[in-house]
Amino acid sequence: MTTKYLYIKNNNFIRLLDNLSADYRVYTAQETRKNYFWKKYKGSFEFSKYRTVNPLRQFFTPSVEHIDNYFSATNPKETKPFCIVGAKACDLGNALKMHDYVFLEGDIDASYKEMRDKNLIISSDCTSFKETCFCLGLGNMPYPQELFDLNISYATDGYLVEIGSKKGEETVAFNKSLFEEANNKIQKEREDNRKRTIEEFKRQVDSLEFPNESLLNGLIKNGYSDKLWAEEALKCVECGACIMNCPTCHCFLLFDTKDKNGYFKGRIWDGCQYKNFTRVAGGASALRLREYRLRNRYIKKFEFFPERIKLYACTGCGRCAESCPGKIDIRKIFKTLNENQNIVKK
Amino acid sequence: MNIYTPDKVTITNIIEETPTIKTFVFKPHSSFSFKTGQFVELTYPGIGEAPFTPSSDPDKKDAFEVTIMKVGNVTELFHKAKIGDCLGMRGPYGNGYPVDSFEDKELLIVGGGVGLAPLRSLIYALYNRINDFKKIVICYGARSPQDIVYKYLLEEFKKPKNVEFRLTVDRADSSWKGNVGIVTTLLEKLPLDIKQAKGIVCGPPIMMKFASLKLLELGFSSKNIHLSMEKNMSCGLGKCGHCRLGKYYICKDGPVFIFDDIKNMWDIWD
Repeated sequence: MTTKYLYIKNNNFIRLLDNLSADYRVYTAQETRKNYFWKKYKGSFEFSKYRTVNPLRQFFTPSVEHIDNYFSATNPKETKPFCIVGAKACDLGNALKMHDYVFLEGDIDASYKEMRDKNLIISSDCTSFKETCFCLGLGNMPYPQELFDLNISYATDGYLVEIGSKKGEETVAFNKSLFEEANNKIQKEREDNRKRTIEEFKRQVDSLEFPNESLLNGLIKNGYSDKLWAEEALKCVECGACIMNCPTCHCFLLFDTKDKNGYFKGRIWDGCQYKNFTRVAGGASALRLREYRLRNRYIKKFEFFPERIKLYACTGCGRCAESCPGKIDIRKIFKTLNENQNIVKK
Repeated sequence: MNIYTPDKVTITNIIEETPTIKTFVFKPHSSFSFKTGQFVELTYPGIGEAPFTPSSDPDKKDAFEVTIMKVGNVTELFHKAKIGDCLGMRGPYGNGYPVDSFEDKELLIVGGGVGLAPLRSLIYALYNRINDFKKIVICYGARSPQDIVYKYLLEEFKKPKNVEFRLTVDRADSSWKGNVGIVTTLLEKLPLDIKQAKGIVCGPPIMMKFASLKLLELGFSSKNIHLSMEKNMSCGLGKCGHCRLGKYYICKDGPVFIFDDIKNMWDIWD
């Protein structure tokens, strides 16, 4: 599909969201004290400058959901799909690709597939960044380049709209009168804004001394016995915030429950930082120490996934660092691993 | 079709093996077959699931058996179940034992405790074509005489001419006349061409560790040792993330592994 640019005025964008509300549960990124959260759209829209606190994946695999009822004929109730407005590049890209790998490769997870097929993603460029953001350090851009249906970029009195999928194209076609041609001036505005954001952002990322992305896999592979894991793990309070806020974490636990309508199989987000994640009934647990668990998280993201699908399961959103009460910071972990391994080499 | 939906299975018989171990005979409501070494997720409806490797003959299609030790919440409920009860089952999952690759080979099977359950299914699979294998030595260790599972089958296991069956207990009682000592004490003077022989080990983690190291010490190639690994598989489909071991998921890439493929991973015995 050829890339297609359109322009939509602010008031027409509200109309678009109103129209979409008929078929979708529309959620937008809404600001509370400089943080954005996913909240239900209620008639007003403000362009979000950077990513939300909570990840997008909740719209594809809800944190707790009934995925099946068994031994009875009750049909699960039909629900409207989501339209998510303001998804940023760090929630798409590798995050969505590896979720697709997990849930759609081989045995297809019906619940995820339905959400993935039906949900509408209207993403948007970052015009600023948070203190913990470091997507550039992983070679990612702060604007969506793929896996969106529509992407909006800030423009004078409205937005430049890029169509990214057939679903996006259809959405535009259904609401044709709301869109206008995007002239060169508006397209130039997007390029200028993107350049400016990257320039400012680059200064922050450069100051982190984050190792080149090509080194990360090797730093983990050679860093199994680094003393840093034990030191950093001392700060871990096992709250699981890094997992719950991570756009690429996908682990879950199946559970069974029942009510008057029958038996249900449910799925709840789980993660390797929790003590009992690997515990078997006999009592053994491979990840019995916090340092093993912390290291495991990095092995999974920077060794397992590259091995499987040649992707780091990290988008550089920095949510793990932002939400950690112990201030365990992925950026510092890689910086220290790099330093420690260079010392050893010397 | 939902990949997490369990099929119905009805308990048609329950055999008490030891005070903490029971074998359940299940009749599946829809067609079901498994390869020896594959596992299933058994569901206690509305309560929970746990992974088990069937212990019965994989050639028997009308029923399958699962031997369950009472160790946790779900297994305790299974132990309370009665003949006629209907439970759930998903699977089979994973890869089983590569029985074809054992053809014309000498085999050493080492089992510990309830680890004889998956091995019993393998033993049936091997005995169904016993002349395809040169020789089979089975070494089984249990904690005490009363912890030995399948007592009623042991004589049958000894029957084929090319099979040698060795048995030991960690702690004897007054009536015990056999070997005393952990299972590795049975691995002396094996009548096998060690360099070519295939070893198959299944049991509790600590037993697997020391049995495997003993086999290496005896001269087995790590490429010829097959391990039945155990983790807390939740989905069984390589999605939930619980049973990852290095670059593998036990549920998808195992549960039977060649020792050589996993020997350098740091947490295989935990």
